[in-house]
Amino acid sequence: MSAVPELLSPSVPWWDLEWLPRLPQRVVEWIVQFLGLPEWLAQIAGMAVAAFTVVGVFAGAFALLSLIERKTLARVQNRLGPNRVGPCGILQPVADGIKMLTKEDIVPARAEWFLHLLAPVLIVVPAILALGVIPYGKSWTPVPLELGLLFFFAVGAMTELSIFMAGWASVSKFPMLGAMRAISQMVSYELPLMLAALGVVMVSGTMSLPEIVAQQGGFHLGFIPAWNLFTPWGLVAGVVFFIACIAEANRCPFDLPEGESEIVAGHMTEYSGFKYALFFMGEYLGLFAISGLGITLFLGGWQAPLPGLGFVPSWCWFFAKLSAVIFVFLWIRATFPRVRIDQLMRFAWLCLIPVSLLTLPAAALWHHAGRGFSGWALTLPLLAIPWLILTVTFNKRMAPQTRRFHYADS
Amino acid sequence: MILYLPILLLILLSALGAVWLAKPVHAALCMALSLALTAVLYLALGAHFIGLVQFMVYVGAVAVLIVFALLMTRRGEESSEISARPRSWALGLACAFPAAAMLVTAAIQGAALPKSPPSEPQVSLSDLGRLLFTDYAPAVLVVALVLTAVLIGAALFAREPQKDTLR
Amino acid sequence: MNDIQPHPAVKDPKPPRKWTPPGLGLLQGLAVSGRNLVESFYKKDRMVTVQYPEERLEISPNFRNFPFLCYDGDDPVKGLRCTACSICEKECPPQCIYIVLDRDENGKSLKRPKVFDIDISVCMNCGICSEVCPFDSIYMDGEYEMSGYDRFGGMMLGLDRLSKSADYHMKLRPEQASEVLARRKADEEKKAAAAAAKAAKAKAEQEKKAMEAKQAAEAAAAESSQGGEA
Repeated sequence: MSAVPELLSPSVPWWDLEWLPRLPQRVVEWIVQFLGLPEWLAQIAGMAVAAFTVVGVFAGAFALLSLIERKTLARVQNRLGPNRVGPCGILQPVADGIKMLTKEDIVPARAEWFLHLLAPVLIVVPAILALGVIPYGKSWTPVPLELGLLFFFAVGAMTELSIFMAGWASVSKFPMLGAMRAISQMVSYELPLMLAALGVVMVSGTMSLPEIVAQQGGFHLGFIPAWNLFTPWGLVAGVVFFIACIAEANRCPFDLPEGESEIVAGHMTEYSGFKYALFFMGEYLGLFAISGLGITLFLGGWQAPLPGLGFVPSWCWFFAKLSAVIFVFLWIRATFPRVRIDQLMRFAWLCLIPVSLLTLPAAALWHHAGRGFSGWALTLPLLAIPWLILTVTFNKRMAPQTRRFHYADS
Repeated sequence: MILYLPILLLILLSALGAVWLAKPVHAALCMALSLALTAVLYLALGAHFIGLVQFMVYVGAVAVLIVFALLMTRRGEESSEISARPRSWALGLACAFPAAAMLVTAAIQGAALPKSPPSEPQVSLSDLGRLLFTDYAPAVLVVALVLTAVLIGAALFAREPQKDTLR
Repeated sequence: MNDIQPHPAVKDPKPPRKWTPPGLGLLQGLAVSGRNLVESFYKKDRMVTVQYPEERLEISPNFRNFPFLCYDGDDPVKGLRCTACSICEKECPPQCIYIVLDRDENGKSLKRPKVFDIDISVCMNCGICSEVCPFDSIYMDGEYEMSGYDRFGGMMLGLDRLSKSADYHMKLRPEQASEVLARRKADEEKKAAAAAAKAAKAKAEQEKKAMEAKQAAEAAAAESSQGGEA
């Protein structure tokens, strides 16, 4: 009975849709209490419904994204995407789902069936767990943990083991190679990810994600939002974080472990039917989770970008930013070729890690020199000068060289 | 106490599996499982930070390192070398005796467990951080130096002889 | 070996700038694909997709698929150019043509096929049958939507499905068809001229013979009249 007055509280204007994401949970709790069942059952039922809401929303977003990705990639490549199933191909994910479900589940005879079965499950579970700590709205974090960021990285670490299991259990060359490359890529790119996030923790003073978002409220100069991206160290750390996002999610241009022309499907080669669909879903859910984290840390989470736009519900802003970030990832996928494994590793260890290490003293300087003009004045040279030195070195050593083959025209 | 028994049992079982299983990969994955369950135990005891760090460091880094080493050297399949264990019971008991003695002494002399885990951690995260960088800073620096030395040594060992690169 | 000069056509590319802003190439690439994406919505000539089966591509005149038999005029039986000489049957590499000559009750050949079967599941679209035909009767068609449900009988095309008119040939391959028609017309005119010349020659010979006979008769008449007078 306590839920109903909360919903209809007079302090909340009727057109403010902030309560919408919480609605299923509140409804179920109210129903259980109405039926006279004990309090703890209501809580558990509410939590279960909240979990199902999160998973349902993001599974639907995954289905939609698979279609939008295909159509956007197609339009960039001067062709139409899927447009046969339903108007504009909107039922294509349904057709894909049916196809995946009805395919035969083939397990190689020499494979270890238990690990083979466990691996796709252990790829989806960390992604769903990670989705639970991200603040989607002003009053809607599914699990507001005090150590939310640490929890996120801890469950992300489980993904690497499951990729290894997938590669090992299918006793075959391509999965083994793919698993090796995937693990080395994920381990290498986790470092810039965590170092970039560390700067945010230093400045915010807390690991709790709702707190970090709340501290990015307010506007400088009246119209520039106080997001972490609009600070000198935040810009660098944000770019590093988003590049590491693409690499962690195994997306182009870092999708060597699963590129078809390189290694068939990498660690997913020997999987068919629903297990393959689970891998696919785990990859995309992980992408949502990690870009959600990036938005929380650097793009202000559910904060509105301009002062007058507070009437739009906060979760709308979050999903708008998520769509923008995913669109940029799609754009990048449509544009760039795949990088080789040695180029990948070289980029992570020689470029991203030094740059992300630089953001740590820059963030500390910025925080302690006052966040205004003096902070900018001190931090900008600290970041710009090494960057310039790095780029000059890269230009000299790694620029494309002119090669002339004297004997080619004899 | 009742709540912790299943977790402890599972930890023991997976640790036994890590030692007894024939294939190295299975043993490594069992070890990862026992480390993950230890993290779960820490979380159940209310030590959130340690539990999550245990998960991130042990399962996410150490276990991955071990399986990666198995993968790179392709020793994961061979079970013949591992199952050639020394048959001497006396040697095993002699190795296990000091550890068992320490555990039993600690159990007898240690303080009684509180009835329920505290809701708030007794030592907060900022306290831990401050302690690490003030009182325990020398220890942290020494560990960092040791890790750096290990990394450099490993890189040197793993390096192939430099070939003349054409410029 | 070190004094080989580079080919004069090979020019050294411009040396790269000393310092380029990093990521400039990446941003230029993103701009190109972004322009593609935006223009695909309003520029119709950017999208190269042909939405089959609602739209179809125009086939080129050189495209060839399975053969067809050509007939002149309106009657597919009487106007059929094929004389069942079986040269195409013998020359076909996978031997997919089967011809039975039509004979009348006395066994005399009627110079047309009774049965002409092509198995298009065997035919390899080489066009040799068309090249060797002396009667301009078999040509390569351009039809490609020939799927069926029957793997054996449905893939065997008989005379009824193979006979197509010369107008169809003209529509399909205008150059080839007009060249064939011109050649056939020239041949016919030559034949007609030769026949006319032969007829004229025969007529002239007949007239000459008649003239000679008349002269002989006149000479004989003159002789008999002279003999009567002496």
